[in-house]
Amino acid sequence: MKYGSFVALLCWAVTVAAQSPAERRIAAAARALSASPSRYELHNELALALARRARETGDPGFYLRAEEALKESLRIAPGNFEGQKVKVWVLLGKHEFSQALELARELNRQMPDDVQVYGMLADAYAELGQYEEAEKAVQWMLDLRPGNVAALTRGAYLRELFGDLEGALDFMQAALQRLPGGETEDRAWILTQLAHLSRLAGRHEIAARLAGRALQLMPGYHYALGELARICTAQGKHEEAVMLLRQRYRAAPHPENLYELAMALERAGELLEAQEAFVRFEQEARRESVTADNANRELVFYYADRAGDPPLALRLADEEMQRGRDVHTRHAYAWALFRNGRVAEAAREIETVLAVGVRDPSILEHAAAIRGAGSGGLMGGAAKGARNLPQ
Amino acid sequence: MRKQILAALLISVIAAPQMSVAANHREAPITALDHKADITDVFAFVSYSAGQPPGMPPSKVTLILCVDPLLEPANGPNWFPFDPDILYEIKVDNNHDARADITFRFRFSTEQRLPGLFQVYAGKGIGVVAPFNSPVPIVPGTLIVPRQIDSFDDPGLGQRQSYTVTMVRGNREVPLENEADEPFFAVPANVGPRTMNYSLLFSQGTYHLSNGISVFAGTVDDPFWIDLGAAFDTLNLRTLGSGIPAVLTPGEDLAAQNFASDTVSGYAVNAIAIEVPIEMLTRTGRLEPASSPAATIGVWATTSRPRVTVRRSPEPALTEGPWRQVQRMGNPLFNELIVGTGFKDRFSMEEPANDAQFASFALDPVLARVVNALTAGVVAIPDPPRLDLLPLVKYVPPIAAPNTPAGPIADLLRLNTGVPATPPASASRLGLLGGDPAGFPNGRRLFDDVTDIALRVVVGGVLVSGFDKFPNNRLGDGVNVNDAPYRTAFPYLADAPSGRNRRHVDPGEPGGGPVN
Repeated sequence: MKYGSFVALLCWAVTVAAQSPAERRIAAAARALSASPSRYELHNELALALARRARETGDPGFYLRAEEALKESLRIAPGNFEGQKVKVWVLLGKHEFSQALELARELNRQMPDDVQVYGMLADAYAELGQYEEAEKAVQWMLDLRPGNVAALTRGAYLRELFGDLEGALDFMQAALQRLPGGETEDRAWILTQLAHLSRLAGRHEIAARLAGRALQLMPGYHYALGELARICTAQGKHEEAVMLLRQRYRAAPHPENLYELAMALERAGELLEAQEAFVRFEQEARRESVTADNANRELVFYYADRAGDPPLALRLADEEMQRGRDVHTRHAYAWALFRNGRVAEAAREIETVLAVGVRDPSILEHAAAIRGAGSGGLMGGAAKGARNLPQ
Repeated sequence: MRKQILAALLISVIAAPQMSVAANHREAPITALDHKADITDVFAFVSYSAGQPPGMPPSKVTLILCVDPLLEPANGPNWFPFDPDILYEIKVDNNHDARADITFRFRFSTEQRLPGLFQVYAGKGIGVVAPFNSPVPIVPGTLIVPRQIDSFDDPGLGQRQSYTVTMVRGNREVPLENEADEPFFAVPANVGPRTMNYSLLFSQGTYHLSNGISVFAGTVDDPFWIDLGAAFDTLNLRTLGSGIPAVLTPGEDLAAQNFASDTVSGYAVNAIAIEVPIEMLTRTGRLEPASSPAATIGVWATTSRPRVTVRRSPEPALTEGPWRQVQRMGNPLFNELIVGTGFKDRFSMEEPANDAQFASFALDPVLARVVNALTAGVVAIPDPPRLDLLPLVKYVPPIAAPNTPAGPIADLLRLNTGVPATPPASASRLGLLGGDPAGFPNGRRLFDDVTDIALRVVVGGVLVSGFDKFPNNRLGDGVNVNDAPYRTAFPYLADAPSGRNRRHVDPGEPGGGPVN
């Protein structure tokens, strides 16, 4: 008996140690709720912890559970402000950006001093491609609470979009320094972003070390695995990239992650397996194509460049443009237009993207192809574009 | 790809989850975190002198900005320098659009001249030398303590602050300079009678320029007076002679003495003052009679700090320059007592011209409802919208002349520069309510009792027909006068209490009113 409880204790200790910050929060909120199920704040906490777990794992199923918790909170205390805030986060997590924006604007009217609501406004505006509005919201955050982490990370994201990589690194570095202790996943996330920015700045060695640090903090962290794989690709280490992306896909089995794996397999010369992965990607991506959180952009490139169905690519891209017009959606749309021979429209669209300032290598590559076609005549240009496909 | 991007944006969810759910409201509004930039009061009035006759035509206006609240005068060894990182501004709207037409900008810089000493000010008499038994290597007779500080050049003034003043009109920036070929010096804290002759420094730190402008900056007596402790204890104002909390007897109302404690007594504040010929302020460039729309100006002050912008290269359309506004003030107590906590920061950072978003606070003040509830209806209040409060937020009579463009709703201190100053002897602390046309809310003088006026006007609604009656017209905190005598010439402010001998008058003490 005694021995048994010792083992139980040991198991419990091991479980606790293995739990992520979000899992611990979920467990804590659930325990508190079993004691006082009518406290709406606890339902909010549970919902927030579940939303956080969704990010840790990349599993959108947690958003559904978060919504259940929120429903309960808002039933007990209709319209409670914190509950509505968590609701915006969940909407953002589910990629329901227009709805998230609408609710965030309402909350901002109710309490204009709430810094986090500006953060949610910034997120929704950025995802919808309304970058000036996003910038205003982030500027309010920086002005209201200089140096707050949420503003710095968003500011870094916008600076990157606006083509200011060094400025983005400054902000992200400051965010890391100001992060409260104990926020392991946040730290790993910021390190991953620093790795991403360092890679774009051409500093591959440092980027790899940063991503490695993130993985030390959060072993198997899917964002860090993905970033480290991209760094390996940039360094020509294609086998390592494949290994990392396999691991990432096991941790976060989303079609867009499979697409990236398929590309890596192709680069590593594993053509057969790559082909299989592409086919599986198409099936899975098609299944979630009508939901808000989808892999339609990857599908656009897939149909445009690999599956020989540019009209379908354009239809999908067009549908995505109805959801939001951020630079990545516009990029996919421009490429689909281009692959359908609509070079002038493609050029207009890609110029809109470049005007934001974005310096993403794949966008620049496609932009060069589209521009080249524009100057070299329609047919010749399309052919030239085809030669510039990412391999 | 997309999930990764979103996650980039979702960090804040996550950067402070425990705060977001559990303790968001513990986070103090922005100025509570930034005392140096915290504006305590703004004053604007037609300048006056002690013996002036009634009806003397106005010629100058005095504008005062006080920052950095409740400075304990004994609080060495660094005392209270102005912050060189802050841009202090006093702004004037003279064409009724609630936007600045003239701005006075103040920037400070600090020198440390006694880096080896343990405190920033030191002095005694003609100086103190090392005595006969001074240990080596200091030989007897070496000056150890500098002489008492009575000028800005004295060596004992270890921490010396100077400042610049710029007058901005549109795109034109005119530096206002000290003609004595020296910078303007800020008057230091009043450390104590051994260390310095504070009054002498005060007069040397009052600068009169040949263009008619005078300037002053320094640590002074906090000119505000209020039973702050009672007010913020959920309006737990004291019960005095009337037997009703917060209601004065006629005798108490008229007396130039205090029946409750002035919580601000014995504290200092940092003040910036500027006196300007009226013709430099009006839209027409002339003295205007009170009946002229051009006579009324709007005044407010701001503090700003350098700003970190998302876009690092200047994009004027998006970043609006390198400063972020930390606070602003026009009417007294507006942000403190009228604006809701969830809006105070936004209010502090906004331009007055955008104040329509806060109109609901001004036209249905929660403060009035709170008093109505706390007195169980004894203090009846008018129905919203409180259009009687419009003179506080629009250019309308009785302050502005009829036919003055009302402008947008904006928290500005409005001053009709054509109304002659009331000689101090006959002025009323109740301003317009006391029949004194030169007092608040027609501008604001140091001795205007804005607490009692706000209680009567905002809460009691005495400007609404049927509400100018007891007890509404007798509301007050029982603090009627400042603890230190104001000057009767520019900059009008009183000497800072000395660190050695300052006294805070507390409840239960003589002059401090009852504890209960």
